[in-house]
Amino acid sequence: MESFKLTLLKLQDYTLLTFDIFKGLSLFKKYWNDILREMYLIGASATRLIFFGGLFMGIVLTIETGHQLDEFGAKTLVGRTVALGMIRELGPVITGILLAARTGAKNASEIGGMQLSEQIDAMRAFGTNPVHKLAMPRTVAAVVMFLPLTLIADITGILGGMVVAKLSLFVDSSFFWQQVFDSLAIKDFIAGLTKPLLFAFFISTISCYYGFTTRGGTTGLGKNTINAVVVSCAIILLLDFVAAKIIWEFF
Amino acid sequence: MIELLNVSLNLDGKQILDNVSLKIKKGDIGVVLGPSGAGKSSILKMILGLWKPDSGCVVIDGVDICGLKEKELLKIRRKMGIVFQGNALFDSLTVRQNIGYFLYEQNEMESKEIADLIEEVLTFINMPGIQRMYPDQLSGGMKKRVAIARAMIYQPEIVLYDEPSAGLDPINGKQILDLIKKVRDKGSTSVVVTHIMNDAVSIGDQLTLVNNGIIVENGSVHDILNSKKEFVKDFFYEIFQDIELLKKEQLV
Ligand SMILES: Nc1ncnc2c1ncn2[C@@H]1O[C@H](COP(=O)(O)OP(=O)(O)OP(=O)(O)O)[C@@H](O)[C@H]1O
Ligand SMILES: [Mg+2]
Repeated sequence: MESFKLTLLKLQDYTLLTFDIFKGLSLFKKYWNDILREMYLIGASATRLIFFGGLFMGIVLTIETGHQLDEFGAKTLVGRTVALGMIRELGPVITGILLAARTGAKNASEIGGMQLSEQIDAMRAFGTNPVHKLAMPRTVAAVVMFLPLTLIADITGILGGMVVAKLSLFVDSSFFWQQVFDSLAIKDFIAGLTKPLLFAFFISTISCYYGFTTRGGTTGLGKNTINAVVVSCAIILLLDFVAAKIIWEFF
Repeated sequence: MIELLNVSLNLDGKQILDNVSLKIKKGDIGVVLGPSGAGKSSILKMILGLWKPDSGCVVIDGVDICGLKEKELLKIRRKMGIVFQGNALFDSLTVRQNIGYFLYEQNEMESKEIADLIEEVLTFINMPGIQRMYPDQLSGGMKKRVAIARAMIYQPEIVLYDEPSAGLDPINGKQILDLIKKVRDKGSTSVVVTHIMNDAVSIGDQLTLVNNGIIVENGSVHDILNSKKEFVKDFFYEIFQDIELLKKEQLV
């Protein structure tokens, strides 16, 4: 019962934090430099990770499904499975999980460290709302940058699949591309491109929340960083399920 | 004017402050003294409104700040500056950005003006030319001075110092005290937390002795030195010893 109450209180705090982040959007111009810096740290400098993450997902997906399809003599359909798999599911989810680990750990430990060394108190003392100064730019940066990163994962995944399809399954590249374009419909793009926005928002707000609520020295910081990453990953998987359900029901 | 009225604070089931009342007049330097863990830093956090009391209230220039929302508090805090005990410098920002933090955030001055002001302040605290360094490249004493510069650059009406001269050599310590007096002479009200007795006696207009979250004695230097309370005598024994010595020397 006590822990249930505690969970409700935490949820309440988290909700208030997200409202405060929305209010902070009015300071968009003032904190423009912070937003740009976070866009670089959260987005641009994660390009390599996402590039290789997407590439290998595409390669593995092609190998696994390619050989299965080959048994039915349908290996030419491999372009179809890779494109759908990457755009709808693996692109967004792999990018989401990789960025949950990367961005989640970054936000929680940075803000948590500032909390422990009284820098958050110092900010408040000097008349700044730390949520507006720290959490708003991080959230905006994540929401803006996750989409292009997901696209990078999608594209490198499909390209990797194309190369493997040619070299190990001997599927002609032009045929592969034809399959890719034939299979994709509008709803696949809706699914594949709205997920990153949702993931970005939740990863950022959750990890900032754990940063701000850090207590109890370095042990507490470690614990909250773990929580930030674990909860972000769990939310991604949950949201992915919900999104899949909604899209199959309504589109 | 800063006023604490019957302020009590309980954290994690522990009584941190117990019915604390304190009044520091405009333009005065109020010194808060006490042993480690007495609740001195907590008193400063109450004055800033970073912590809210469980009962009682904190009144700054006639405004009861305890009922205020964070947004309104931010406005009140803009007339205060604070030096935290652990400095709390922003470690992702350079010395220049740290010292100018308040002015850059307010965005009411040209950045050239701010840069000039920072240079002036750095010369004043005897560390010119360190604008581009980061806090973790500075020594403990240098960090302290940067923290002081950050708190006083915009000449706030109220400046709070938590152990400003701890960890400094005597020369720098003295400079800091002179600095605090200078800031006071410009009309600021100051609260200085310290456990260095000589400092307290030399700069304090009004002394407050705290122990275990309770105010033990409160008054001018003269009042405190003439207090009959055992704890006061124990706490100031060094000074009493010095006085005894002086008296003996005069007799000889
Ligand atoms: N965040 C906190 N949560 C719970 N208890 C705290 C917290 N901060 C301080 N305390 C407790 O409050 C009491 C007073 O702390 P405070 O920092 O005000 O002491 P202080 O007089 O400044 O001591 P020092 O001279 O060592 O700095 C201590 O017993 C401390 O354990
Ligand atoms: Mg203290």
